[in-house]
Amino acid sequence: MIRASYTLNKILTALARQHATAERLTDDDLVGHDLSAAERAALTTGDITSLYHLGANPYLIRRVFRSRFPI
Amino acid sequence: MAEVVLAALTSHAPMITGKPEVSRPEQRDRLYDGFHELRRRLAAARPDLLVMFVNDHLQNFPYSNMPAFCVGVAKDYDAPSAGGARLMRIPPRKVPGAPEWGLALLESGLAAGFDFAYSHEIESWDELAVPLYFLTPDGTIPVSPVYTNCGAPPLPTPRRCHEMGAFVGAFIRSRPATERVALLATGGISHWVGTPETGRINPEFDHRVLDHVARADAEALTRLTEAQIERDGGNGGQEIRNWLALLGAVPGWKGEVLAYEPVPEWITGCATVWVHP
Repeated sequence: MIRASYTLNKILTALARQHATAERLTDDDLVGHDLSAAERAALTTGDITSLYHLGANPYLIRRVFRSRFPI
Repeated sequence: MAEVVLAALTSHAPMITGKPEVSRPEQRDRLYDGFHELRRRLAAARPDLLVMFVNDHLQNFPYSNMPAFCVGVAKDYDAPSAGGARLMRIPPRKVPGAPEWGLALLESGLAAGFDFAYSHEIESWDELAVPLYFLTPDGTIPVSPVYTNCGAPPLPTPRRCHEMGAFVGAFIRSRPATERVALLATGGISHWVGTPETGRINPEFDHRVLDHVARADAEALTRLTEAQIERDGGNGGQEIRNWLALLGAVPGWKGEVLAYEPVPEWITGCATVWVHP
């Protein structure tokens, strides 16, 4: 079981609650959050597979990066 | 003692209403027919309260405060909100809550050692909005939801969810005889959402679940582990906790599958099940 990343999920939760979607996040979106280089890269490239393996909740990945999913 | 006048299990994927046109018409029609049949049976049962076993999708409960079980005590529920309505393509509306009933359940639980969390404000996602769109189109029956964490692991065990439902069932039977209560659990069956396997459905798992429900054999399902459900039913399959809670409330009741369709376009093994003595 992948351990959840609190920081990733905090960022994505805030966006999902606004019903916001994105192809990728910007550095401005991430100001003030303590992220690893891998987490930051996954968010700013919209890498949904990496986000999953880094501990982002899949429901939040789906909600925020909806356009990244082929189905 | 109050009476459970109807019990049912359904799936709740947002695309059931949000993208009907992408599904195969024959699958869509069979599933919609199942919802419509449940609506007819619900209307005939004349409930004055709908107790719903459901789960949040990180819309309400954040990782800073994640309840295993939470009783809704709101005066009404967005089902859906304006934001959710865009995705589910159903009009935003509020359905009435039953806060006094929810508070009574909450207090009864705390007194008996079942420590529910509670919430006065819940924005429903598809867990309420999609099934209620079909089942209570006029939205007049008060709803009392009990939320279980099915989406932010670690999760309560299936057995504990079944016990929670049994407690709710005992609470209902302690209530005044004039209450006519309908039970509805939503979620599942297999689906992978937001994971690298997004879109996968496992009909074998779904039929196994439905077969156990048809035989009133919840015990076998309560022995499933979180890892087993994740492997065979996906992260969305964890929502069978809601079904197990309902089955705990009506021990011995059996499921009649009105519809089951593994709909790839909706990325969900979708079912409607009537549960009866």
